[in-house]
Amino acid sequence: MRFLVVDDSRIMRNILKNTLIRLKFKSDDFLEASNGEEAYGILMKEKIDILLLDWNMPTLNGLELVKRLRAMPSYKDLPILMVTSEAAKYNVIEAVKAGVTDYLVKPVTEKNLEDKLNRIFQRKKA
Amino acid sequence: MNAKSILPFIDVTVHAFKEMFGVELEAKSPYLMRKDTPMDWEISGVIGIAGEARGVVVLSFQEDLAVALTGRLLGKKKAGMDEDVIDTVGEVVNIIAGNAKQGLEDSRLQISLPSIVMGRNHQVVWPSSTIPIIGIPFTSLYGDFHLSVGLESLVL
Repeated sequence: MRFLVVDDSRIMRNILKNTLIRLKFKSDDFLEASNGEEAYGILMKEKIDILLLDWNMPTLNGLELVKRLRAMPSYKDLPILMVTSEAAKYNVIEAVKAGVTDYLVKPVTEKNLEDKLNRIFQRKKA
Repeated sequence: MNAKSILPFIDVTVHAFKEMFGVELEAKSPYLMRKDTPMDWEISGVIGIAGEARGVVVLSFQEDLAVALTGRLLGKKKAGMDEDVIDTVGEVVNIIAGNAKQGLEDSRLQISLPSIVMGRNHQVVWPSSTIPIIGIPFTSLYGDFHLSVGLESLVL
């Protein structure tokens, strides 16, 4: 299971990676990017199984990256978990309309990240 | 801005500190800040608000507390100010502003990327406008900090 963790905050990327390791994912399964443009470049070169994606980032934000990816047939089924501080209902609706698989509001806890990932993996199996 | 508008900011700050740092907070009485209210803080995270209401959220710390909180977040003691501390202050103010939108859904708001201001006794100067700025002092076992919130177009 290869993750791409995208957040402009290095400390948030580390927290997400450490939380995933505590959830028994392997530490060499993570790639990271600090904005949407950088993430897009990685996605074009590497095989990624799931994207953990912040919303507010410089150059290309998370929502714009989701729209760009969902317009490409090869990325229409890529699981995307948006992990963001944006907690308003209208933000969640906008993200779901753009094509995110699920939505997690920061601050992230081990329990709520695990629950969201389990939901995504179960949906993928079905 | 009325008390109802400030409550989401207090609630999400208390929640964020508990979840991120395992720190319990006590919010002191909010007060109306003047343009020249002195600030004796050493690092502030600033987020702009735009959309159906304009405003700003400023989270201010003494360096020692910002360093201690970063250490708690990383699970290892930090020696002093560095990129991780700056990153942490930016992330916390981002979470406070983004989470507070949930309690302010009468207005559709967008938040900016965080900026960081550093320096002993730095001043955050509010623009000349009619936007009231509310100050909320917080206390914790690890030290005190301050949240300033200015937001227009909300019920007065």
